[in-house]
Amino acid sequence: MSHQEALTVLAEIPDDNVESLKHLLGNVRAHAGNWNVLPFAQLSKLHAAQLVVFDAATDLDGNELPARLALVMSVDAPLSQHLEELSSVCAAGMDTVFSHCTGYPAVSERSSASRRRFLEERSFKADALYINKRGRTVQQILQEDFLRREISAFLDSRNFSGLSALEIRREIVEFVRSRNDLSWALRPADPPTMRWRLQNALHGILFALVTIVFTPLLVIALPIFVFLLRHHEKREKPDTSAATAERLQALRNDEDYWVQNQMMALGCIKRGLFRRLTMRGLMGIADYATRHIYNRGSLSGLNTIHFARWVSFDDGRRMFFSSIYDGSVENYMNDFIDKAAWGVNGIFGNGDGFPPTAYLFGKGITDEKAYKRFLPTRLLATNVWYTAYPHLTTKNIANNEAIRRGLSFQMTALQTQEWLKRFGVGNRLPAGGWVARKIDGLPWDRICRRLT
Amino acid sequence: MPPLDLKDIQGIILRGYGELDSASFLLLKFEDPRTAKGWLRTIDVRSSEARPSAADYCANIAFTPTGLLALGLPEDMLAMFSNEFLEGMSGTPHRRRILGDHGESDPERWLWGGPVNERVDVLLMLYASNDEALGSFVDTHVGMLTRQGMRVIVRLDTLTLPGRKEHFGFRDGIGQPDVDGYAAESSPGNRVAAGEFLFGHPNAYGQYTERPTVAGQRDPRGLLPLAPEDPTLHDFGMNGSYLVFRQLRQDVFGFWHYLARMAPAVYQGDPVCASVSAASKMVGRWPNGTPLVKSPHADPGDLSDDNDFLYVQSGDADGFRCAIGSHVRRCNPRDSLDPEPGSSRSLEVNSRHRIIRRGRAYGPAASASMRPEDVINSPDDGRDRGLHFICFNTQIGRQFEFIQHTWANGSRFEGLAEDDDPLIGDRGATSQTRGGTFTIQQDPVRKRLTGMPRFVHVRGGSYFFMPSIRAVKYLASLE
Repeated sequence: MSHQEALTVLAEIPDDNVESLKHLLGNVRAHAGNWNVLPFAQLSKLHAAQLVVFDAATDLDGNELPARLALVMSVDAPLSQHLEELSSVCAAGMDTVFSHCTGYPAVSERSSASRRRFLEERSFKADALYINKRGRTVQQILQEDFLRREISAFLDSRNFSGLSALEIRREIVEFVRSRNDLSWALRPADPPTMRWRLQNALHGILFALVTIVFTPLLVIALPIFVFLLRHHEKREKPDTSAATAERLQALRNDEDYWVQNQMMALGCIKRGLFRRLTMRGLMGIADYATRHIYNRGSLSGLNTIHFARWVSFDDGRRMFFSSIYDGSVENYMNDFIDKAAWGVNGIFGNGDGFPPTAYLFGKGITDEKAYKRFLPTRLLATNVWYTAYPHLTTKNIANNEAIRRGLSFQMTALQTQEWLKRFGVGNRLPAGGWVARKIDGLPWDRICRRLT
Repeated sequence: MPPLDLKDIQGIILRGYGELDSASFLLLKFEDPRTAKGWLRTIDVRSSEARPSAADYCANIAFTPTGLLALGLPEDMLAMFSNEFLEGMSGTPHRRRILGDHGESDPERWLWGGPVNERVDVLLMLYASNDEALGSFVDTHVGMLTRQGMRVIVRLDTLTLPGRKEHFGFRDGIGQPDVDGYAAESSPGNRVAAGEFLFGHPNAYGQYTERPTVAGQRDPRGLLPLAPEDPTLHDFGMNGSYLVFRQLRQDVFGFWHYLARMAPAVYQGDPVCASVSAASKMVGRWPNGTPLVKSPHADPGDLSDDNDFLYVQSGDADGFRCAIGSHVRRCNPRDSLDPEPGSSRSLEVNSRHRIIRRGRAYGPAASASMRPEDVINSPDDGRDRGLHFICFNTQIGRQFEFIQHTWANGSRFEGLAEDDDPLIGDRGATSQTRGGTFTIQQDPVRKRLTGMPRFVHVRGGSYFFMPSIRAVKYLASLE
């Protein structure tokens, strides 16, 4: 098994091609999952994909920014193999779509290698990347859902009254063993490669060490940082404009076809070196946190996010945020306010127009009205999106995984009881790590109130 | 929280009129709005000040956007209402999708309120102690309003079933929020900020929800109160609320026949007992109202309005007593929600998704006895019956629509996998969202009811704004 990686490609579109490309891509409500120009389902490593046209724009200093096509994918490692598939299996679709973009190989020069080079040359590293749980491949997710459905049907078909939990589990294991198409489930899923795990662990330790070394410096710098921060926070003007009703309606009409939804938000980083550096620092922390702290199914109390990434471009002046999540956008926004306001403020507070924050973490989106007015002004209408498992929530996936894991080791009577509950409802997520629990255990509501 | 100004709040919002068994809802259209304003000036709109006596007559009134426009509410004020209200219940494909209004419930097939039906401007709600008193009350009103530039589009009659039950046979309307500034807290976490139901008061986020306000010179007679967060503005919305109205047809025979067929596989005993047990699991209360959290195995029998319980803190985190996907647990999950189920934070999240329900049943009972065995043993009579579902809230998107979409129609609610609300779920529009399964969590392993058809269909509906008493006067005074 392997870990997951992010592919982000931003390709410039000449002005003349923008409309025809938009026409080709259409919008979510028009094709509702049946967009076949790029046959996503044939890509064996693909979890989720978005295609979005960023219109030409001007930045906060008045510089012209070209229109771009964003291709945002979450895939199983190795990324190179995915790029290979994308450039060969999806060759025709790639040509149809990306031939609208500047620099795409001419017809005579098109090959799997040249397509791949085109993508690689325009790919951006995410400043921070959240993956609900690292190490779960798309194949595993789909297989384990099949497994749960099959066991569920087996449970429906039999009367187990009079049997103990241990006996019922034995019956289930026997059932799985008897099925050729399920017997894989009796082995635990392979963990990501040893090499990746070592690298990841090393990254975690090194970053922590560097932080410790620089802590005295940070402590000295903190009052200066806070002084500058307050200076900026008091001076900056939030964007109080609202999206038009038509725009809101168009965005809404793209949502809620499945249990999963997607989001693409694009904005400018606030002007000035201070904000750019703050953003860069916070992104470093966020990237570390999503890799090493919030890596077991919950991002600071939010457990509905499958994938999220922050990608800065245009020399760090603009950034987009993409997310694949469960439930409606109304639910998502309330989750942010109710569970992770401090984190959202800390990061997005550096974005131009954001509701005013206090000491980075306070206020901000706790102003429900301001937040729900602001967010849609930065949302883009995604043209195409795909997920390999639109019907599965993060909780479903985690539960399916725990069901499969439970098939392959000896259990006590108590463990068996707990395991069998998973066929009734799958709302138990694995506990967060020690650090995540400590951070989430802080009284953020009170702290944020104090800060205002 | 200071006490609410009950004199200014329409009575049905806070009082509910449980004393008055008979009610009729008139959907009206302005033919001549100028004349109709005369009618509006004279109508006696009941406030929340006093509990009605058994011999009372009560009238309440609410408007759609077209009704407000017809009365002369300026467009810039109208635009300050929420998108949900302005777009309307059936106004966008997205809203139809999340509310589950497809198939037989498609607004194109509605009896009223849909895109092909006649425009509705006004909802007039009339209540009296019995049908005879109501009859003359309705006649008086119909006589007055038809003479004064209005027309009745639809008249919706109601009835109160024995034991205040709904048509499936379960006592209804028990789990209401305790409105801050009006009611004492009856169970932990059940007190909800007044601003969740009445504009002009702090809501569950401590904010004042958007609603129409107007500069002082546009309220020259000073009819409107001042906006609390900005006293330079006069508050048209204050003490008003959004009224959500859905005519829900209940397939009572379909419900009990399904159970009689399927329940014996999950419950032992005779089919009727098994059906009642399974149905109670689906509801989360016994027919007489007793919550399953408190009495998981048997109906104690007496009518009960017991609402004093939680789920996780009451020891039912696993749903072994009240099933996770049961109707009452979905529509008010209390302390079941993330983060930290069982905590005050969980209750706080829950309190941002509450509604006050004021619905009334309509159509004849499926059997005079209201006993499940009599329904099970009879063929479908094909009559139309159901609930005129009515609820109040100030943020339709975060309250009513959220509950219907995320909690009731959501087939993945709280970690479930194929279940939507067994009573009011829409069974999904696609194979990905199908629902129609109900899981009974139990030790050592769950049982399931599968292949459940849709039991509740939408036959009409609209979003209304129910203004305060002062705002009604303001509307009547508009040029």
